[in-house]
Amino acid sequence: MASGATAPGIRALRSRRRPPLHRRGLLTLLLVSAFGWSLTAVPWGAGLVHANGAAVIGRILGALLRPDLSAGTLRIALAATWRTFAYATAGVSLAIALAVPAGVLASGVLARRPGVRAVSATAFRAGLGGLRAIHELVWAWLFVAAIGLSPWVAVLALALPYAGILGRVLADMLDDVPAAPLRALRAAGAREWQVLLYGRLPMVRANMVGYALYRWECGIRSAAIMSFVGLGGLGYQIQLSLDDLRFREVWTFVGCLVALVVLVDLWSGAVRRRLSA
Amino acid sequence: MFALEGVAKRYGPLEALAPLTLTIAPGERVALMGPSGGGKTTLLNLLAAAFPPDAGRLSIAGRPAEGLRPGRELARLVGIMPQGFDLVPSLAVVHNVLAGRLGEWGFARSLASLVVPRERELARTALARVGIPEKLYERTERLSGGEQQRVALARLLLQRPRAILADEPVSAVDPARAEALLALLVGIVAEEGTTLVASMHGVPLALRHFSRVVALRRGRLVFDRPSAAVTPEEIEALYALEDAGTRGVA
Ligand SMILES: Nc1ncnc2c1ncn2[C@@H]1O[C@H](COP(=O)(O)OP(=O)(O)OP(=O)(O)O)[C@@H](O)[C@H]1O
Ligand SMILES: [Mg+2]
Repeated sequence: MASGATAPGIRALRSRRRPPLHRRGLLTLLLVSAFGWSLTAVPWGAGLVHANGAAVIGRILGALLRPDLSAGTLRIALAATWRTFAYATAGVSLAIALAVPAGVLASGVLARRPGVRAVSATAFRAGLGGLRAIHELVWAWLFVAAIGLSPWVAVLALALPYAGILGRVLADMLDDVPAAPLRALRAAGAREWQVLLYGRLPMVRANMVGYALYRWECGIRSAAIMSFVGLGGLGYQIQLSLDDLRFREVWTFVGCLVALVVLVDLWSGAVRRRLSA
Repeated sequence: MFALEGVAKRYGPLEALAPLTLTIAPGERVALMGPSGGGKTTLLNLLAAAFPPDAGRLSIAGRPAEGLRPGRELARLVGIMPQGFDLVPSLAVVHNVLAGRLGEWGFARSLASLVVPRERELARTALARVGIPEKLYERTERLSGGEQQRVALARLLLQRPRAILADEPVSAVDPARAEALLALLVGIVAEEGTTLVASMHGVPLALRHFSRVVALRRGRLVFDRPSAAVTPEEIEALYALEDAGTRGVA
């Protein structure tokens, strides 16, 4: 289909920031050489190695077969699992609440004038970039230093970088929606925010929900790790047990973490299938 | 409905539409015909005020086209019948139909309607008129191409523009469905008194359903007369291949 395929209305000027094909080859070459060089830069031989590492590894693996299933440990494990799950869920929910408005503004799709659009998009994209440039663990340290050991620390530390990631992805998706349905909406009299509600958001919904669910799963792992700073949860319990060399307890907690992640993965997979069906 | 006075459009050195003067009265059904690259889409875009002409004066419903702001004002005057696949695929049919009301709706109503559809009866009636009442809550992407075009037509029924512009409205469906869809479109515009301007590749189809033919070739007007007065020789000359035979006819 040549020119005949276009309905009346401004033709699709698909704005792609992709570099042209011939330059993409060069880019690939550069990235591959950077990767190769990074391998040589790692000091493979050096470092301090545990003297009787083999024996400890043997004990750790031995404990794997006999995780601690006593009532006391299980109670601790269950409480810690619940706490990690709650931190992750609250953190990612807050991240979504922040990411939706920020992502819309970062995409610049609401601004009609190109000047306003560029300024809004640049400012919000920079803001989102700043949020995700700092790892959640670093955020957690900063917040612990600022407010102490409160559950808010875990939630906020997770929410801010995740809002940065989700907002950025949403902005990119909103920019990349097929143009023809949007043109048709405008021709029917829709204003830009109506085009957003009736065109852009529905078209990115399935992908965005899928991605947010994936991030939720990541959030659970992050929340577990983050609790190492002393916030409670599975990571904290793993650390305590490791310090006391109680490897059988370690495996109980690790098992809980794996089970939690698998459950969330199964559930989000089911939701995704329903959305795309 | 449309008045053109020396309206022209060029793309760089290419004269997509040579200065054209013609008027289209309210309620007329005009078929734009001619070989590929003739300027049909360009003319439709100009009539839709999608871009301004490079020269000449164009008025829509008696008002200068350059003074019409995109949005509600323009949507009340001209509506566009897309070739297909211009609906939002992941939305339910009802929302794609109700999108024809967005020009009239404010923020609260637009948002609320996505949760519980407003003015549902309008959508239901429109879908019944285009022959697919049972698809109201179906996801739009599950519909066939022909059904999607009916949804687009239902949206236009809610938008109620004074003129409908259609670029090859039936080129994406098989001949039997093309006939039915065109009959439906023409029936609706006749009932509503809407002006219809459509680019058409199927000659017999165009002559049967339209009252007037405007023929363009290489951006120039070849002829403009009632369908009944168009002769087979004229049609043949209109589509005849040039010396190099570069222009194909669909
Ligand atoms: N955006 C554009 N930029 C440059 N040239 C264009 C553009 N749009 C159309 N043209 C050129 O203008 C001429 C008229 O194009 P137009 O799309 O109006 O033809 P058409 O009659 O609709 O053809 P078809 O039957 O194939 O749809 C063609 O030569 C085309 O290549
Ligand atoms: Mg065309």
